[in-house]
Amino acid sequence: MGEAEKVDVKKLLQDARDGIMDAWAKLMLTLTSSHEYQRVQGMIAKPALLGVALFRKATESVMSPFLAQMNMPSREEVLGIAQRLTHIEMTLDDLGAALEQLRRSLGARPQRAPAARDREVKPDNGSSIAAKEA
Amino acid sequence: MAGTQEGSPGLLDRVSTMVENLVKVTTTKAPIGQTPRQAIWTLNKATLYRYTPVKPPEERHRVPLLLIFALMNKSSILDLRPGNSFVEHMVNKGYDLYLLDWGVPGPEDAEMNLGDYVLEYIPRAVRKLKAVSGSETFNLLGWCIGAMLSTLYASLRGNVEGLKSLILLTAPLDFTDREQISLARMTDERYFDVDRVLQAFGNMPAGLIDYGAKMLKPVENFVGGYVRLLDNLDNPKVVESWHAMNTWVNDAIPLAGGAYRQFIVDFYRGNKLMNGTLTIRGEKVDLNNLRASLLNVIAVDDHITPPCQSARLLDKVGTLDKTELKVPGGHIGVMAGSGASKGTWPKVESWIAARSD
Repeated sequence: MGEAEKVDVKKLLQDARDGIMDAWAKLMLTLTSSHEYQRVQGMIAKPALLGVALFRKATESVMSPFLAQMNMPSREEVLGIAQRLTHIEMTLDDLGAALEQLRRSLGARPQRAPAARDREVKPDNGSSIAAKEA
Repeated sequence: MAGTQEGSPGLLDRVSTMVENLVKVTTTKAPIGQTPRQAIWTLNKATLYRYTPVKPPEERHRVPLLLIFALMNKSSILDLRPGNSFVEHMVNKGYDLYLLDWGVPGPEDAEMNLGDYVLEYIPRAVRKLKAVSGSETFNLLGWCIGAMLSTLYASLRGNVEGLKSLILLTAPLDFTDREQISLARMTDERYFDVDRVLQAFGNMPAGLIDYGAKMLKPVENFVGGYVRLLDNLDNPKVVESWHAMNTWVNDAIPLAGGAYRQFIVDFYRGNKLMNGTLTIRGEKVDLNNLRASLLNVIAVDDHITPPCQSARLLDKVGTLDKTELKVPGGHIGVMAGSGASKGTWPKVESWIAARSD
Protein backbone atom coordinates (compact mmCIF):
# COMPACT_ATOMS: atom_id res chain seq x y z
CA MET A 1 0.00 0.00 0.00
CA GLY A 2 1.49 3.40 -1.00
CA GLU A 3 1.97 6.34 1.38
CA ALA A 4 -0.74 8.35 -0.38
CA GLU A 5 -3.26 5.60 0.18
CA LYS A 6 -2.66 5.48 3.96
CA VAL A 7 -5.66 6.67 5.89
CA ASP A 8 -5.06 8.94 8.87
CA VAL A 9 -7.84 7.76 11.17
CA LYS A 10 -7.11 10.41 13.80
CA LYS A 11 -7.40 13.19 11.26
CA LEU A 12 -10.62 11.74 9.89
CA LEU A 13 -12.14 11.57 13.36
CA GLN A 14 -11.03 15.10 14.15
CA ASP A 15 -12.54 16.41 10.93
CA ALA A 16 -15.79 14.62 11.67
CA ARG A 17 -15.83 16.02 15.20
CA ASP A 18 -15.10 19.55 13.98
CA GLY A 19 -17.89 19.25 11.41
CA ILE A 20 -20.35 18.15 14.08
CA MET A 21 -19.24 20.95 16.38
CA ASP A 22 -19.63 23.55 13.65
CA ALA A 23 -23.14 22.40 12.93
CA TRP A 24 -23.94 22.30 16.65
CA ALA A 25 -22.51 25.80 17.13
CA LYS A 26 -24.64 27.19 14.29
CA LEU A 27 -27.74 25.49 15.64
CA MET A 28 -27.14 26.80 19.17
CA LEU A 29 -26.42 30.28 17.87
CA THR A 30 -29.71 30.32 15.97
CA LEU A 31 -31.47 29.13 19.11
CA THR A 32 -29.86 31.47 21.65
CA SER A 33 -30.14 34.55 19.47
CA SER A 34 -33.85 34.05 18.85
CA HIS A 35 -36.49 36.17 20.55
CA GLU A 36 -38.24 32.97 21.71
CA TYR A 37 -35.17 31.87 23.62
CA GLN A 38 -34.85 35.28 25.27
CA ARG A 39 -38.54 35.14 26.20
CA VAL A 40 -38.08 31.75 27.90
CA GLN A 41 -34.95 33.00 29.68
CA GLY A 42 -36.90 35.98 30.96
CA MET A 43 -39.75 33.78 32.16
CA ILE A 44 -37.32 31.56 34.09
CA ALA A 45 -35.37 34.49 35.51
CA LYS A 46 -38.39 36.41 36.79
CA PRO A 47 -39.42 34.11 39.69
CA ALA A 48 -35.78 33.34 40.50
CA LEU A 49 -34.94 37.03 40.84
CA LEU A 50 -38.09 37.66 42.83
CA GLY A 51 -37.09 34.84 45.19
CA VAL A 52 -33.59 36.25 45.66
CA ALA A 53 -34.93 39.75 46.35
CA LEU A 54 -37.52 38.46 48.85
CA PHE A 55 -34.93 36.31 50.62
CA ARG A 56 -32.62 39.30 50.88
CA LYS A 57 -35.39 41.49 52.27
CA ALA A 58 -36.47 38.82 54.75
CA THR A 59 -32.89 38.26 55.94
CA GLU A 60 -32.38 41.96 56.45
CA SER A 61 -35.61 42.43 58.36
CA VAL A 62 -34.75 39.50 60.63
CA MET A 63 -31.14 40.57 61.17
CA SER A 64 -31.74 44.30 61.75
CA PRO A 65 -33.38 44.04 65.21
CA PHE A 66 -30.92 41.34 66.25
CA LEU A 67 -27.92 43.47 65.27
CA ALA A 68 -29.44 46.50 66.99
CA GLN A 69 -29.91 44.43 70.13
CA MET A 70 -26.25 43.43 69.98
CA ASN A 71 -25.15 47.06 69.45
CA MET A 72 -23.83 46.16 66.02
CA PRO A 73 -24.30 48.14 62.80
CA SER A 74 -26.70 46.89 60.17
CA ARG A 75 -25.71 46.19 56.56
CA GLU A 76 -27.10 49.57 55.48
CA GLU A 77 -25.08 51.35 58.13
CA VAL A 78 -21.85 49.62 57.11
CA LEU A 79 -22.49 50.42 53.45
CA GLY A 80 -23.20 54.04 54.41
CA ILE A 81 -19.90 54.27 56.29
CA ALA A 82 -18.03 52.87 53.29
CA GLN A 83 -19.67 55.44 51.00
CA ARG A 84 -18.80 58.26 53.39
CA LEU A 85 -15.19 57.07 53.49
CA THR A 86 -15.06 57.27 49.69
CA HIS A 87 -16.35 60.85 49.84
CA ILE A 88 -13.72 61.71 52.45
CA GLU A 89 -11.10 60.10 50.23
CA MET A 90 -12.24 62.27 47.32
CA THR A 91 -12.11 65.41 49.44
CA LEU A 92 -8.61 64.53 50.67
CA ASP A 93 -7.53 63.87 47.08
CA ASP A 94 -8.79 67.31 46.05
CA LEU A 95 -7.12 68.95 49.04
CA GLY A 96 -3.84 67.22 48.27
CA ALA A 97 -4.01 68.34 44.64
CA ALA A 98 -4.90 71.92 45.68
CA LEU A 99 -1.96 72.05 48.10
CA GLU A 100 0.36 70.73 45.41
CA GLN A 101 -0.95 73.39 43.04
CA LEU A 102 -0.43 76.08 45.66
CA ARG A 103 3.09 74.89 46.36
CA ARG A 104 3.91 75.01 42.66
CA SER A 105 2.44 78.46 42.21
CA LEU A 106 4.53 79.69 45.13
CA GLY A 107 7.53 78.17 43.44
CA ALA A 108 8.66 76.50 46.61
CA ARG A 109 9.75 72.91 46.98
CA PRO A 110 8.66 71.06 50.13
CA GLN A 111 11.09 71.80 52.98
CA ARG A 112 11.14 68.82 55.25
CA ALA A 113 12.79 69.28 58.61
CA PRO A 114 15.82 67.00 58.69
CA ALA A 115 15.57 64.18 61.17
CA ALA A 116 17.51 64.60 64.41
CA ARG A 117 20.07 61.96 63.49
CA ASP A 118 20.74 63.72 60.16
CA ARG A 119 21.51 66.91 61.99
CA GLU A 120 24.07 65.21 64.12
CA VAL A 121 27.59 65.17 62.80
CA LYS A 122 30.06 62.79 64.26
CA PRO A 123 33.53 64.30 64.25
CA ASP A 124 36.59 62.20 63.90
CA ASN A 125 37.17 61.98 67.62
CA GLY A 126 33.88 60.11 67.95
CA SER A 127 32.01 62.58 70.16
CA SER A 128 28.66 63.76 68.85
CA ILE A 129 27.92 67.41 68.26
CA ALA A 130 24.81 69.12 66.90
CA ALA A 131 25.31 70.45 63.40
CA LYS A 132 24.82 74.15 63.01
CA GLU A 133 22.16 74.90 60.48
CA ALA A 134 22.86 77.73 58.17
CA MET B 1 9.44 -3.12 24.43
CA ALA B 2 10.31 -0.33 22.04
CA GLY B 3 13.00 1.98 23.34
CA THR B 4 12.72 5.76 23.27
CA GLN B 5 15.24 7.61 21.16
CA GLU B 6 16.99 10.51 22.79
CA GLY B 7 15.28 13.80 21.86
CA SER B 8 12.00 12.26 20.72
CA PRO B 9 9.71 11.52 23.65
CA GLY B 10 7.88 8.23 23.67
CA LEU B 11 4.15 7.78 23.99
CA LEU B 12 4.33 7.41 27.76
CA ASP B 13 6.28 10.66 28.14
CA ARG B 14 3.83 12.43 25.86
CA VAL B 15 0.80 11.21 27.78
CA SER B 16 2.48 12.11 31.05
CA THR B 17 3.17 15.68 29.80
CA MET B 18 -0.41 16.00 28.58
CA VAL B 19 -1.85 14.89 31.92
CA GLU B 20 0.52 17.21 33.75
CA ASN B 21 -0.54 20.13 31.55
CA LEU B 22 -4.21 19.32 31.94
CA VAL B 23 -3.93 19.23 35.73
CA LYS B 24 -1.96 22.48 35.69
CA VAL B 25 -4.39 24.48 33.57
CA THR B 26 -7.47 23.20 35.37
CA THR B 27 -6.21 23.60 38.93
CA THR B 28 -3.96 26.67 38.91
CA LYS B 29 -4.06 30.28 37.81
CA ALA B 30 -1.53 31.48 35.26
CA PRO B 31 0.63 34.43 36.27
CA ILE B 32 -0.77 37.36 34.30
CA GLY B 33 -0.11 41.11 34.44
CA GLN B 34 3.58 40.83 35.25
CA THR B 35 5.09 43.99 33.73
CA PRO B 36 6.67 45.97 36.61
CA ARG B 37 4.54 48.89 37.79
CA GLN B 38 3.89 51.14 40.78
CA ALA B 39 0.56 52.25 42.21
CA ILE B 40 0.67 56.06 42.24
CA TRP B 41 -2.91 56.93 43.15
CA THR B 42 -5.94 55.20 44.60
CA LEU B 43 -9.55 56.17 45.13
CA ASN B 44 -12.06 53.72 46.58
CA LYS B 45 -11.34 50.53 44.60
CA ALA B 46 -9.65 52.27 41.67
CA THR B 47 -5.87 52.38 41.30
CA LEU B 48 -3.69 54.31 38.88
CA TYR B 49 -0.53 52.42 37.97
CA ARG B 50 2.56 53.72 36.26
CA TYR B 51 4.60 51.12 34.40
CA THR B 52 8.31 51.26 35.08
CA PRO B 53 9.93 52.80 31.99
CA VAL B 54 12.67 50.76 30.37
CA LYS B 55 14.04 53.58 28.23
CA PRO B 56 15.92 56.64 29.49
CA PRO B 57 13.87 59.89 29.57
CA GLU B 58 15.50 61.31 26.43
CA GLU B 59 14.39 58.27 24.41
CA ARG B 60 10.83 58.27 25.70
CA HIS B 61 7.80 59.84 24.04
CA ARG B 62 6.94 63.16 25.61
CA VAL B 63 3.17 62.65 25.91
CA PRO B 64 2.09 60.01 28.46
CA LEU B 65 -0.46 57.36 27.54
CA LEU B 66 -3.32 56.33 29.84
CA LEU B 67 -5.06 52.98 29.40
CA ILE B 68 -8.64 52.36 30.54
CA PHE B 69 -10.24 48.95 30.31
CA ALA B 70 -13.81 47.75 30.83
CA LEU B 71 -15.61 47.65 34.16
CA MET B 72 -16.57 43.97 34.23
CA ASN B 73 -13.24 42.28 33.55
CA LYS B 74 -9.77 42.69 34.96
CA SER B 75 -7.44 45.03 33.10
CA SER B 76 -4.71 42.35 33.13
CA ILE B 77 -5.80 41.41 29.59
CA LEU B 78 -3.69 44.38 28.47
CA ASP B 79 -0.68 42.73 30.07
CA LEU B 80 -1.50 39.05 29.61
CA ARG B 81 1.92 37.42 29.69
CA PRO B 82 5.49 38.29 28.75
CA GLY B 83 5.84 38.19 24.99
CA ASN B 84 2.11 38.66 24.51
CA SER B 85 1.47 41.90 26.35
CA PHE B 86 0.35 45.19 24.84
CA VAL B 87 1.64 46.98 27.94
CA GLU B 88 5.08 45.42 27.59
CA HIS B 89 5.09 46.30 23.88
CA MET B 90 4.30 49.95 24.55
CA VAL B 91 6.77 50.27 27.43
CA ASN B 92 9.49 48.83 25.19
CA LYS B 93 8.54 51.41 22.54
CA GLY B 94 9.33 54.19 25.00
CA TYR B 95 5.92 55.26 26.26
CA ASP B 96 5.33 56.68 29.71
CA LEU B 97 2.47 54.31 30.35
CA TYR B 98 -0.31 54.50 32.94
CA LEU B 99 -3.23 52.18 33.63
CA LEU B 100 -6.42 53.08 35.46
CA ASP B 101 -7.61 49.85 37.07
CA TRP B 102 -11.19 50.01 38.35
CA GLY B 103 -10.81 47.27 40.96
CA VAL B 104 -13.71 45.15 42.17
CA PRO B 105 -16.86 47.01 43.26
CA GLY B 106 -18.39 45.94 46.53
CA PRO B 107 -22.01 46.19 47.75
CA GLU B 108 -21.28 49.75 48.89
CA ASP B 109 -20.62 50.73 45.26
CA ALA B 110 -24.00 49.56 43.98
CA GLU B 111 -25.10 53.13 43.34
CA MET B 112 -22.00 54.15 41.41
CA ASN B 113 -22.92 55.32 37.93
CA LEU B 114 -21.25 56.46 34.75
CA GLY B 115 -21.10 60.02 36.09
CA ASP B 116 -18.92 58.84 38.98
CA TYR B 117 -16.51 57.07 36.65
CA VAL B 118 -16.38 59.81 34.01
CA LEU B 119 -16.51 62.96 36.15
CA GLU B 120 -14.96 61.87 39.44
CA TYR B 121 -12.50 59.04 38.90
CA ILE B 122 -11.03 59.70 35.45
CA PRO B 123 -10.41 63.46 35.97
CA ARG B 124 -8.70 62.80 39.31
CA ALA B 125 -6.56 60.04 37.81
CA VAL B 126 -5.65 62.37 34.93
CA ARG B 127 -4.73 65.10 37.42
CA LYS B 128 -2.36 62.69 39.16
CA LEU B 129 -0.94 61.44 35.87
CA LYS B 130 -0.16 64.99 34.81
CA ALA B 131 1.46 65.78 38.16
CA VAL B 132 3.65 62.67 38.03
CA SER B 133 4.59 62.89 34.35
CA GLY B 134 5.00 66.66 34.33
CA SER B 135 3.12 66.79 31.02
CA GLU B 136 0.13 69.04 30.46
CA THR B 137 -1.22 66.82 27.68
CA PHE B 138 -1.88 63.09 27.51
CA ASN B 139 -3.20 60.41 25.20
CA LEU B 140 -6.01 58.07 26.21
CA LEU B 141 -6.70 54.52 25.05
CA GLY B 142 -9.99 52.86 26.01
CA TRP B 143 -11.09 49.33 25.27
CA CYS B 144 -14.68 48.00 25.31
CA ILE B 145 -16.66 49.82 28.03
CA GLY B 146 -13.39 51.58 28.81
CA ALA B 147 -13.68 53.04 25.29
CA MET B 148 -17.22 54.15 26.04
CA LEU B 149 -16.12 55.85 29.28
CA SER B 150 -13.18 57.43 27.44
CA THR B 151 -15.53 58.79 24.76
CA LEU B 152 -17.80 60.33 27.39
CA TYR B 153 -14.80 61.81 29.20
CA ALA B 154 -13.31 63.15 25.95
CA SER B 155 -16.61 64.84 25.06
CA LEU B 156 -17.20 66.32 28.51
CA ARG B 157 -13.71 67.12 29.87
CA GLY B 158 -11.13 66.21 27.26
CA ASN B 159 -10.77 69.68 25.75
CA VAL B 160 -10.06 71.42 29.05
CA GLU B 161 -7.93 68.71 30.64
CA GLY B 162 -5.31 68.35 27.91
CA LEU B 163 -6.47 65.26 26.04
CA LYS B 164 -4.33 65.16 22.91
CA SER B 165 -5.54 61.99 21.26
CA LEU B 166 -8.08 59.28 21.89
CA ILE B 167 -7.80 55.65 20.81
CA LEU B 168 -10.96 53.55 20.98
CA LEU B 169 -10.89 49.78 20.71
CA THR B 170 -14.15 47.89 20.03
CA ALA B 171 -16.24 50.71 21.49
CA PRO B 172 -19.94 49.99 22.16
CA LEU B 173 -21.41 53.40 21.29
CA ASP B 174 -24.07 53.01 18.63
CA PHE B 175 -27.16 50.88 19.30
CA THR B 176 -29.17 51.83 16.24
CA ASP B 177 -29.08 48.43 14.61
CA ARG B 178 -30.34 46.41 17.57
CA GLU B 179 -31.01 43.24 15.59
CA GLN B 180 -27.31 43.02 14.76
CA ILE B 181 -26.32 43.30 18.42
CA SER B 182 -26.88 40.02 20.26
CA LEU B 183 -26.52 41.64 23.69
CA ALA B 184 -29.24 44.12 22.77
CA ARG B 185 -31.65 41.25 22.14
CA MET B 186 -30.61 39.65 25.42
CA THR B 187 -31.29 42.84 27.37
CA ASP B 188 -34.49 43.78 25.53
CA GLU B 189 -37.03 45.31 27.93
CA ARG B 190 -39.57 42.67 26.96
CA TYR B 191 -37.44 39.86 28.41
CA PHE B 192 -34.98 41.43 30.81
CA ASP B 193 -35.97 43.44 33.88
CA VAL B 194 -32.81 45.31 34.83
CA ASP B 195 -34.34 46.81 37.97
CA ARG B 196 -35.37 43.42 39.27
CA VAL B 197 -31.83 42.10 38.75
CA LEU B 198 -30.33 45.02 40.64
CA GLN B 199 -32.96 44.79 43.36
CA ALA B 200 -31.90 41.19 43.89
CA PHE B 201 -28.14 41.61 43.70
CA GLY B 202 -27.24 45.30 44.07
CA ASN B 203 -24.42 45.06 41.55
CA MET B 204 -24.63 43.04 38.34
CA PRO B 205 -22.97 39.76 39.40
CA ALA B 206 -19.84 38.68 37.56
CA GLY B 207 -21.32 35.23 36.98
CA LEU B 208 -24.34 36.63 35.16
CA ILE B 209 -22.22 38.89 32.96
CA ASP B 210 -19.93 35.98 32.15
CA TYR B 211 -22.89 33.72 31.38
CA GLY B 212 -24.47 36.33 29.13
CA ALA B 213 -21.24 36.88 27.20
CA LYS B 214 -20.59 33.16 26.81
CA MET B 215 -24.15 32.49 25.63
CA LEU B 216 -23.46 34.69 22.60
CA LYS B 217 -21.41 31.75 21.28
CA PRO B 218 -22.30 28.90 23.61
CA VAL B 219 -20.65 25.95 21.89
CA GLU B 220 -17.41 27.81 21.20
CA ASN B 221 -17.19 29.11 24.77
CA PHE B 222 -18.39 26.14 26.79
CA VAL B 223 -16.98 23.31 24.63
CA GLY B 224 -14.80 24.57 21.77
CA GLY B 225 -12.10 26.10 23.96
CA TYR B 226 -11.60 22.85 25.85
CA VAL B 227 -11.52 20.80 22.65
CA ARG B 228 -8.79 23.10 21.34
CA LEU B 229 -6.88 22.62 24.56
CA LEU B 230 -7.19 18.81 24.40
CA ASP B 231 -5.95 18.84 20.81
CA ASN B 232 -2.85 20.77 21.85
CA LEU B 233 -2.08 19.46 25.31
CA ASP B 234 1.42 18.45 24.25
CA ASN B 235 2.17 21.87 22.76
CA PRO B 236 3.60 24.03 25.58
CA LYS B 237 3.13 27.28 23.64
CA VAL B 238 -0.59 26.71 23.08
CA VAL B 239 -1.11 25.40 26.62
CA GLU B 240 0.59 28.44 28.14
CA SER B 241 -1.44 30.82 26.01
CA TRP B 242 -4.70 28.97 26.76
CA HIS B 243 -3.93 28.92 30.48
CA ALA B 244 -3.31 32.67 30.59
CA MET B 245 -6.46 33.48 28.63
CA ASN B 246 -8.58 31.05 30.67
CA THR B 247 -7.28 32.59 33.90
CA TRP B 248 -8.32 36.02 32.71
CA VAL B 249 -11.72 34.93 31.32
CA ASN B 250 -12.68 33.24 34.59
CA ASP B 251 -11.69 36.20 36.70
CA ALA B 252 -14.66 38.41 35.85
CA ILE B 253 -15.82 41.07 38.29
CA PRO B 254 -19.26 42.48 39.09
CA LEU B 255 -20.42 45.71 37.51
CA ALA B 256 -21.60 48.55 39.73
CA GLY B 257 -25.42 48.55 39.71
CA GLY B 258 -25.95 52.23 38.85
CA ALA B 259 -23.55 52.09 35.91
CA TYR B 260 -25.06 48.86 34.65
CA ARG B 261 -28.56 50.30 34.75
CA GLN B 262 -27.46 53.37 32.76
CA PHE B 263 -25.63 51.18 30.30
CA ILE B 264 -28.76 49.12 29.61
CA VAL B 265 -31.37 51.89 29.73
CA ASP B 266 -29.51 54.83 28.19
CA PHE B 267 -27.28 52.97 25.76
CA TYR B 268 -28.71 49.59 24.78
CA ARG B 269 -32.34 50.70 24.84
CA GLY B 270 -32.25 54.47 24.39
CA ASN B 271 -29.16 54.84 22.14
CA LYS B 272 -28.92 58.26 23.76
CA LEU B 273 -25.27 58.99 22.96
CA MET B 274 -25.80 58.69 19.22
CA ASN B 275 -29.18 60.44 19.40
CA GLY B 276 -27.57 63.36 21.20
CA THR B 277 -29.85 63.07 24.21
CA LEU B 278 -27.45 61.60 26.75
CA THR B 279 -26.84 63.62 29.88
CA ILE B 280 -24.32 62.82 32.60
CA ARG B 281 -25.08 64.62 35.86
CA GLY B 282 -27.12 67.15 33.96
CA GLU B 283 -24.42 67.81 31.37
CA LYS B 284 -25.31 67.00 27.79
CA VAL B 285 -22.80 64.72 26.09
CA ASP B 286 -22.16 66.19 22.67
CA LEU B 287 -19.84 64.14 20.47
CA ASN B 288 -19.16 67.27 18.48
CA ASN B 289 -17.15 68.46 21.50
CA LEU B 290 -14.71 65.63 20.99
CA ARG B 291 -11.80 67.58 19.50
CA ALA B 292 -8.87 65.30 20.33
CA SER B 293 -7.31 63.30 17.50
CA LEU B 294 -9.26 60.08 17.19
CA LEU B 295 -8.38 56.53 16.19
CA ASN B 296 -11.36 54.18 16.15
CA VAL B 297 -10.32 50.53 15.98
CA ILE B 298 -13.00 48.11 14.82
CA ALA B 299 -12.59 44.33 15.11
CA VAL B 300 -14.31 42.92 12.05
CA ASP B 301 -15.18 39.57 13.69
CA ASP B 302 -16.38 41.04 16.98
CA HIS B 303 -19.59 39.33 18.14
CA ILE B 304 -19.82 41.24 21.45
CA THR B 305 -19.44 44.73 19.99
CA PRO B 306 -20.15 44.26 16.29
CA PRO B 307 -18.61 46.76 13.85
CA CYS B 308 -21.95 48.58 13.49
CA GLN B 309 -21.59 49.81 17.09
CA SER B 310 -18.91 52.37 16.29
CA ALA B 311 -18.85 52.59 12.49
CA ARG B 312 -20.79 55.88 12.45
CA LEU B 313 -18.70 57.52 15.17
CA LEU B 314 -16.39 59.44 12.85
CA ASP B 315 -19.37 61.28 11.32
CA LYS B 316 -20.43 62.52 14.75
CA VAL B 317 -17.22 63.77 16.36
CA GLY B 318 -15.92 67.32 16.11
CA THR B 319 -12.26 66.51 15.53
CA LEU B 320 -10.77 66.81 12.04
CA ASP B 321 -7.94 64.36 12.74
CA LYS B 322 -9.90 61.11 12.76
CA THR B 323 -9.03 57.65 11.52
CA GLU B 324 -10.90 54.37 11.38
CA LEU B 325 -8.89 51.17 11.51
CA LYS B 326 -10.52 47.84 10.74
CA VAL B 327 -8.52 44.86 11.92
CA PRO B 328 -9.22 41.13 11.75
CA GLY B 329 -10.09 39.46 15.03
CA GLY B 330 -12.72 39.25 17.71
CA HIS B 331 -13.53 41.42 20.71
CA ILE B 332 -10.58 40.23 22.80
CA GLY B 333 -8.43 38.54 20.18
CA VAL B 334 -7.92 41.86 18.39
CA MET B 335 -5.58 42.96 21.20
CA ALA B 336 -4.71 39.79 23.08
CA GLY B 337 -4.76 37.13 20.36
CA SER B 338 -1.66 35.47 19.00
CA GLY B 339 -1.68 37.70 15.90
CA ALA B 340 -2.15 41.01 17.74
CA SER B 341 1.57 41.67 18.19
CA LYS B 342 2.07 41.70 14.43
CA GLY B 343 -1.33 43.07 13.44
CA THR B 344 -3.12 45.51 15.73
CA TRP B 345 -0.33 46.68 18.04
CA PRO B 346 2.11 48.08 15.44
CA LYS B 347 -0.72 49.91 13.65
CA VAL B 348 -2.07 51.42 16.85
CA GLU B 349 1.42 52.23 18.12
CA SER B 350 2.50 54.01 14.94
CA TRP B 351 -0.66 56.14 15.04
CA ILE B 352 -0.05 57.08 18.68
CA ALA B 353 3.67 57.68 18.09
CA ALA B 354 2.85 60.37 15.54
CA ARG B 355 0.89 62.18 18.27
CA SER B 356 3.15 61.64 21.25
CA ASP B 357 6.00 64.15 20.81
